[in-house]
Amino acid sequence: MESPFLRWRNFLSDSAARKKYEDYVKAADAKVGAFLEFDADRGLGLVSDANPGADLAGVPFAVKDIIAVKGFHLTCGSKILENLVSPYTATAVEKLIARGGVMVGKTNLDEFGMGSSTDNSALGKTNNPWDQGRVAGGSSGGSAAAVAAGMAAFALGSDTGGSVRQPAAFCGVYGLKPTYGAVSRYGLVAYASSLDVIGVCARSVEMTRAVFDIIRGQDEKDQSSQAGGSGPAAKNRVIGVLGGNLGLDPAVDRAYRKTMDFYKAQGFELREINLAMAEYYVPVYYTIATAEASANLARYTGVRYGYRPDYAENPEELTRKARSEGFGSEVKLRILLGTYVLRSGFQDQYYQRAHKLREAIRADFDKAFGGAGLILMPVFPTQAFLRGQSGLDQFQQKLADRFTTAANLAGLPAMSFPAAVEDGLPVGMQFMAPAFGEALLFDAIKLYEAQFPCPVPPSYKPEWIEGS
Amino acid sequence: MIHSMDVSELKITAELANLDLTGEDLASLGNEVEKILDYFSSMMEADTAGLAAGKAGSAANRLRPDVRTPGDADALLENAPELEGRFIVIPNVL
Amino acid sequence: MYQSFIGLEIHIQLLTESKVFCGCTNRFGDEPNTNVCPVCMGYPGVLPALNEEAIRLSYIVARTLNCELSPRAIFERKNYFYPDMPKNYQISQFSSPLGRNGWIDIEYAGKPRRVRIHEIHLEEDAGKMIHAGDMSLLDYNRAGTPLLEIVTEPDMEAGEEAEILLQNFRRTIRYLGVCDGNMEEGSMRCDANVSINLEGQGLGRKVEIKNLNSSRFVKMALNYEITRQKELFGKGGKIVQETRLWNENRDVTEPMRTKESAHDYRYFPEPDLPPFIPGAEFLAKVDKGLVELPEARKARFVKEYGLSAAAADFLVAEKATADFYEQTVKLGAAPAAAAAWLQFDVRKILNRDGKELADCPLTAGRLAQLLSLLADGRIHGKIAKQVLEAVFAEDKDPGQLIKEKGWQSMSDMSQLAALVDQALAANAAAVDAVKAGDRKPLGFLVGQIMKQTGGMAEPRLVQELLKQKIK
Repeated sequence: MESPFLRWRNFLSDSAARKKYEDYVKAADAKVGAFLEFDADRGLGLVSDANPGADLAGVPFAVKDIIAVKGFHLTCGSKILENLVSPYTATAVEKLIARGGVMVGKTNLDEFGMGSSTDNSALGKTNNPWDQGRVAGGSSGGSAAAVAAGMAAFALGSDTGGSVRQPAAFCGVYGLKPTYGAVSRYGLVAYASSLDVIGVCARSVEMTRAVFDIIRGQDEKDQSSQAGGSGPAAKNRVIGVLGGNLGLDPAVDRAYRKTMDFYKAQGFELREINLAMAEYYVPVYYTIATAEASANLARYTGVRYGYRPDYAENPEELTRKARSEGFGSEVKLRILLGTYVLRSGFQDQYYQRAHKLREAIRADFDKAFGGAGLILMPVFPTQAFLRGQSGLDQFQQKLADRFTTAANLAGLPAMSFPAAVEDGLPVGMQFMAPAFGEALLFDAIKLYEAQFPCPVPPSYKPEWIEGS
Repeated sequence: MIHSMDVSELKITAELANLDLTGEDLASLGNEVEKILDYFSSMMEADTAGLAAGKAGSAANRLRPDVRTPGDADALLENAPELEGRFIVIPNVL
Repeated sequence: MYQSFIGLEIHIQLLTESKVFCGCTNRFGDEPNTNVCPVCMGYPGVLPALNEEAIRLSYIVARTLNCELSPRAIFERKNYFYPDMPKNYQISQFSSPLGRNGWIDIEYAGKPRRVRIHEIHLEEDAGKMIHAGDMSLLDYNRAGTPLLEIVTEPDMEAGEEAEILLQNFRRTIRYLGVCDGNMEEGSMRCDANVSINLEGQGLGRKVEIKNLNSSRFVKMALNYEITRQKELFGKGGKIVQETRLWNENRDVTEPMRTKESAHDYRYFPEPDLPPFIPGAEFLAKVDKGLVELPEARKARFVKEYGLSAAAADFLVAEKATADFYEQTVKLGAAPAAAAAWLQFDVRKILNRDGKELADCPLTAGRLAQLLSLLADGRIHGKIAKQVLEAVFAEDKDPGQLIKEKGWQSMSDMSQLAALVDQALAANAAAVDAVKAGDRKPLGFLVGQIMKQTGGMAEPRLVQELLKQKIK
């Protein structure tokens, strides 16, 4: 079979191709703002053994700036880490570099992965390549936008509650959230450790599959990682779908029906499933995610690295000033929430209760996958939204995580794919599969891709990208 | 319905989190926190009897061998905001 | 009458090569911030990876202290901000520590006492913060080194008991090889707590005491505190539940200055580490690390080798000494002789030279050889001491040294008889005196012969011959 990287192979070793590429990135990113740092030279320097035969040789890829790459910044989109240069490289990135891949740049994100628009970045604004007035989604907005606009072959993101799938849906690319533990988290800056996973944004199913196959696997540096094995076999051709009023925008609703019709026509049986716990996904998610975040972000105090205030008299003042001046308001909000739900006296009713409900959510999916081989559902109730008053406020954005958070809570793999372009904007749908069933996702979505390939945003059509 | 966070609870929480909240933050974050906690209260209606808090399906007993793997300590010190010899320095006016 | 309740919280640093969650060197006394990496410096994106040796050593202690093992030990995050703690949470154990409900038996004032162990848990140590003028200096070499905490129930009454428990415990962990028990360097640390109440009224308000750098200070601080609380109680005063510091210059406890800050550790399970389930295979490996403990060994030495309690006590104080002793006996040495030599002659040389038995030229084999040469009469006692010194000085076997130096006893009767005859002829006055009933000149005559033979004549034989000939 043809390598999914063919169009990008040795891209950076050919000086003419490289110049064309770098010029394009410069021009395109002036409008999109996907990258916080772009340096192909430095990326090439990380490839120790330039073997032109390697499957990723010379292939440029981008990494969300919440994943460590030695010698590059690791800002997490935050003022508190604005000047931090990473002294080490994440396991997933090391594996890509070992195959010859060239890490060309770090992409923008919502600060510490907290948000659905990438507007919560303290360090830059990322626009949706389909409409500069709209957000790219988040929190991996920079990675999705870079791939959508053809600025990288693929990009790594992180998905804690939908942060790869939602921006991928907003930008019209594929977005994989692997099974929890399938990809080492070593080097992924923790937002919520029991939910976080490194994911992939790409313009084709096969490239997504190839990248996942490279980065997956048990890692001795991440004791929550698992080998996973060959995964479950396809058990049937039943696709679970959601019934009732899902509160979707009309364009999203149309796209959902379109994908259902497609799979029905392909001979799949669509079966409405009852996810009894669905109403609890968002509160359970935010309770657990913020609780873990409150501890994960405690290390940022300006003592050993990162932002330090101009003046402080003692360690307490130093720490408080560094955090108060260094974190943005959404991060502070989530730290406060997470601290609160863990406090003695409140922990039982919030954190402990959420943990129990999480078990029920897990059991709910076990039951659903007893009947259906896959579950098909929307990614987000809206398409990429506008900035300002007509967009969604932070609270509405949280409520809109109701379709994506389930996969994180249950630790299951899920993948969003471009299902339609409605009113000039892409719409994404997602499949969920049983644990380590990534191959089932690829196989199912490949059928759709064969008929509806990855769309290309009108103003970003470099010759090297595929799609329609 | 459980009680939402009042200002004194918010202040205690901020102190535990090592955050200084200015008057403005206190008001806006306080409102937002309250809104979300109200929303969280839907969890209180769920029947959790018979449910145990589990742990994400990770395997047990992952261990690494007791082997020294020297790191590059000097590179880490380069990121420190202030040094005195090899010590990292923080202000402490008594 | 008042009753006092004393409990201890003991922290020991485990003797692993690397830290508990990363591969940095676990060693005391290095240059600041040399044994650090992104993991133990709390860099963004790193994860802890549990060290199997830290786990094994922890379970050795839990088993030795008779603990029930949690079927699923889990790690949790203990949240509080402090500059020497890189992540601002400590990975520790809380709701399901690895061991619970154990005990340590001690003896105080001739009475046995069982002190119950509340729990044992594994955690990571913090770095060190040194105050210097208007700044503080941070060293993270210690951050992330494995620390085992042992919490006793308040089952003791007197400071002396706490001291005995600590001394026994220290000997035990050194025996097990899990910790060197150095309280001055901080590889073993102890906080004490004490409350008093009227007899039969149960526990009183607990006061914790910190800054106890030796087991003697633990005893002194507790006894000071008991007296202070009794006096306060007697005057109708109210005992405050608080933390106090031992002031070793003034021999008093003082209230610790505390900031008026909120205090809530917000424990929750560490998502980065899976639970640890001690299975049969693992426990078999742990049990291989268990050893006969000092108290049991002492009793056995008395019974099996007929040693005095004092001699046995000396021999079992360090495991290396007791092992050396038993090896020597196994190689044929008489138990009493081997004990005496280790307790006196060998110890004298080791102390003088500042050496350890485990790391000196004398091996159990050499000592056994020396004692067998002595028992066979091939050397005599005084020469044996010379040989011992020579073993230390030249690192050679006793047999070889005796040969090289010509130190074999002169025990050929005809040769000795000739020497005795010579001596008798040359010292007629002394011979007469002996004949007249004065036994003193006998010693003089022996001395003459020893001098003549350079000390090699076997003195017992010379004496026998003299007596025969003078008769």
